Amino acid sequence: MSQKFQSKKRKGDEEYKGLVKKISIKQSKNGSKNDSVASAVNNESNAGDDEAIIPKMAMLNADAIIYASQSANSYSANDAVSKLFGEQDFSSIALKPDHESRPLWINPINGIITLEAFSPIAEQAQDFLIAISEPISRPAHIHEYKLTPYSLYAAVSVGLETEDIIEVLNRLSKIHIPESIINLIRQCTISYGKVKLVLKHNRYFVESSYPDTLQKLLQDPIIAAARLVNTEEDEKAGIFKEKAPSMNGLVIVPPQKPPEKPIEGKPETNIEEASKDAKKDEVDLFHTVVDLEKEDEEDDDGDEVHAFEIKSDQFENVKKRCNELDYPMMEEYDFRNDNNLAPLDIDLKPITVIRPYQEKCLSKMFGNGRARSGIIVLPCGAGKTLVGITAACTIKKSTLVLCTSGVSVMQWKQQFLQWSNIRDSQIAVFTSEQKEKFSGQSGIVISTYSMVANTRNRSHEAQKMMDFIRGREWGFILLDEVHVVPANMFRRVVTTIAAHTKLGLTATLVREDDKISDLNFLIGPKLYEANWLDLASKGHIANVQCAEVWCPMTPEFYGEYLRVNSRKRMLLYVMNPKKFQACQYLIQFHEDRGDKIIVFSDNVFALQAYAIKLGVPYIYGKTQPQERIRILQNFQYNPKCNTIFLSKASDTSIDLPEATCLIQISSHYGSRRQEAQRLGRILRAKRRNDEGFNAFFYSLVSQDTQEMFYSTKRQQFLIDQGYAFKVITKLDGMENASNLVYQTKEEQVRLLNEVLEANENAADIDNDVEANVDDLPGTITSANFARTPGYTRSTASLKSLSGADGMSYLESDGQTVRRALGVGGGSLEHLRVNNKSKGKKRQAEEKVQHNPFFKKYRKK
Amino acid sequence: MVKAVKGTILKCDPAVKQVILSMNNSEHKPFIIEDLDETHLFVDTTHVERIKRRVEQLLEENTYKVEQLPS
Repeated sequence: MSQKFQSKKRKGDEEYKGLVKKISIKQSKNGSKNDSVASAVNNESNAGDDEAIIPKMAMLNADAIIYASQSANSYSANDAVSKLFGEQDFSSIALKPDHESRPLWINPINGIITLEAFSPIAEQAQDFLIAISEPISRPAHIHEYKLTPYSLYAAVSVGLETEDIIEVLNRLSKIHIPESIINLIRQCTISYGKVKLVLKHNRYFVESSYPDTLQKLLQDPIIAAARLVNTEEDEKAGIFKEKAPSMNGLVIVPPQKPPEKPIEGKPETNIEEASKDAKKDEVDLFHTVVDLEKEDEEDDDGDEVHAFEIKSDQFENVKKRCNELDYPMMEEYDFRNDNNLAPLDIDLKPITVIRPYQEKCLSKMFGNGRARSGIIVLPCGAGKTLVGITAACTIKKSTLVLCTSGVSVMQWKQQFLQWSNIRDSQIAVFTSEQKEKFSGQSGIVISTYSMVANTRNRSHEAQKMMDFIRGREWGFILLDEVHVVPANMFRRVVTTIAAHTKLGLTATLVREDDKISDLNFLIGPKLYEANWLDLASKGHIANVQCAEVWCPMTPEFYGEYLRVNSRKRMLLYVMNPKKFQACQYLIQFHEDRGDKIIVFSDNVFALQAYAIKLGVPYIYGKTQPQERIRILQNFQYNPKCNTIFLSKASDTSIDLPEATCLIQISSHYGSRRQEAQRLGRILRAKRRNDEGFNAFFYSLVSQDTQEMFYSTKRQQFLIDQGYAFKVITKLDGMENASNLVYQTKEEQVRLLNEVLEANENAADIDNDVEANVDDLPGTITSANFARTPGYTRSTASLKSLSGADGMSYLESDGQTVRRALGVGGGSLEHLRVNNKSKGKKRQAEEKVQHNPFFKKYRKK
Repeated sequence: MVKAVKGTILKCDPAVKQVILSMNNSEHKPFIIEDLDETHLFVDTTHVERIKRRVEQLLEENTYKVEQLPS
């Protein structure tokens, strides 16, 4: 058997074997998607017993003949491998005769789709799979997707039909689609997306192309009560027919039609164009993937839709009721026929160029000539802002933009001015510092979530501004970084503001608290998700080398680490002198290469300690805006300022295209989202299109501490996007660098002293940005730079209230330090020498730290 | 009177040595006979297996395992 396997003719046999192993990992019950595990298994099996690890399915793919000879065997279950797979043993599933040209498998049990990304038609298959399923893991060669009810809901909402999904899936699949999957698809799509809530001429209509569905809904008392019976309409059923909407006449991006498409007057969408091209050059059996979408639209054109009107004050109830009845409504906004809302004169500037993938997202959003609400997922730095602006330019109505911080408010404003022809007077900014209204009937307001969702008392001016926002209807609401916003804050925003279309933009649709599915119903389905590696290979975002640098803990630090409570632990592993040195070394190394470096630290105490020690400017939550701007400008334009330290206040929305190297010294536990956001800071590097350019992303990790755990967890998201993390256990040349800090034991012990004396709260990573009461655990607060007026109540010891934190009695003759060095490798025995009997470490510290006044007195 | 204790030399990296030291301190009957240098310890042979287990357990705590795919 193994001989036959070896003899199969495949390019890159070695590589393929690796893949087979990977599949086997995924298939097996105790599967793990970690690449390293896969390679470990690979090595192991290279030792001889190949067949012991190869799943039947992978084998079958390799050679149909093997399958034929083996199929008798596989039922008898006495071969070596069957038992390894348990109920995931699918060797009995027959392959199609021409399976080699088809790129995917479907797991009948859990709906996971495994795609060969190296297949010639993989690209089309990907487009299709992104529409119908959630991408789970997308490394270079094998992708994994999963069919979920949500993803199918999203698929239906962009206009795919049940039968089409099944048919295309069947064409792409190497096996006949299992019954279970067909059932899943049918079940999920039968009720979803059938009913639409359309806002037209400022009246709400419930619309559907299936009259019986509407009849069913009307039987429901709540919905029936909300119906607006209009005598002019067909009285018998209250349902009236009309022609289905079409994309005709709508051009998403009017100013710059690509030259190769000479269709100025032709009212066709870009999808249709693309699929026509595809039709011409492809004779392939499978090219229909793209075509299908087109057919759908054409079908729609001929269709009649049925609708009834509902009272506008009842639409929330109707929507809720429909969700309960399992007919979730999709919201559409017929903006071209909305004469009630004053139009906004906004267009993209002719010089603005939209990238192909941005166009793709927008065509999903404006699929049938109306605006759909939904979420678009693009990597950081891939031009989410431009997508938002283009959407606003297409809708041409008053727009409200919500973002996470004051800094990004200003960035959005500036981007609007840069890419579109909107006048300065039409953009208003609403933050704690600025409260403007736009002039005229329509315009754009840019604000932050916290400003709008605030329920506490506001200043008079802010209240007036809020009344202004609440008092009008918005054609379009743009929600930047949607994943960050706490769900209840979000609900408040979405319900208090009357907006016709909602568009969420994000880079990372993961939340640590699993509240992501809430977004599906608060905003809408996911309309588009881009593939990171794909964009990187096309040069839209930078290529990044990711590395995890392991820094050993010094014995003194590790000794303390084992002793102290968990909050202090974090401070200890962040302040590890070895990490300090690694950081300094990397900064020096990359500055010599001409890189611009950002160092991230979540912990403000560490941030300040590092930055001051290394003499580098730093920004954290309490840095004043003027100073912040000065530092950022210096970093951008001053060749002598190549490194800055940033706290997590700058995680999102700081746009520094100069940065090419990123070092992370402390982070928010295992937040995958934060890791991705940070990577995003260097993805938009200006120099990304230089020959052979690479950006660098380093994560410094203290060995043998919890940080190792968090670090691996954090990387999962990026690994799923296809990034590989290199582990560096030793930085070459570091031992030769002579100018590193904290080289002597004495200095290290002094640093340890400082760390131990630091206030407990210094370990708290949330003290940087103002914590929000609404925040869910695991999310990072939006960075609110505003000073809170009034008082805050907090508990603290008398010592810290009198400003005596961090002060302690130390003998100045250096005896202490010497003693520390002497005892047990410097484990600071002196700190608890006098109350070993009590055993409680904290008490020990407090006893040693004398009244600060005593120290002050001594100094005099 | 001379009392003999059978001992074993442990070689470990500095961090693991700290783990063992802290383990030693938390017991009423210390098992470390002599603290030799940064990376070497001389301990009571009867405790070696236990030390091994404890160190393993600690290192395990800091390793992240990819959770099972939801099926």
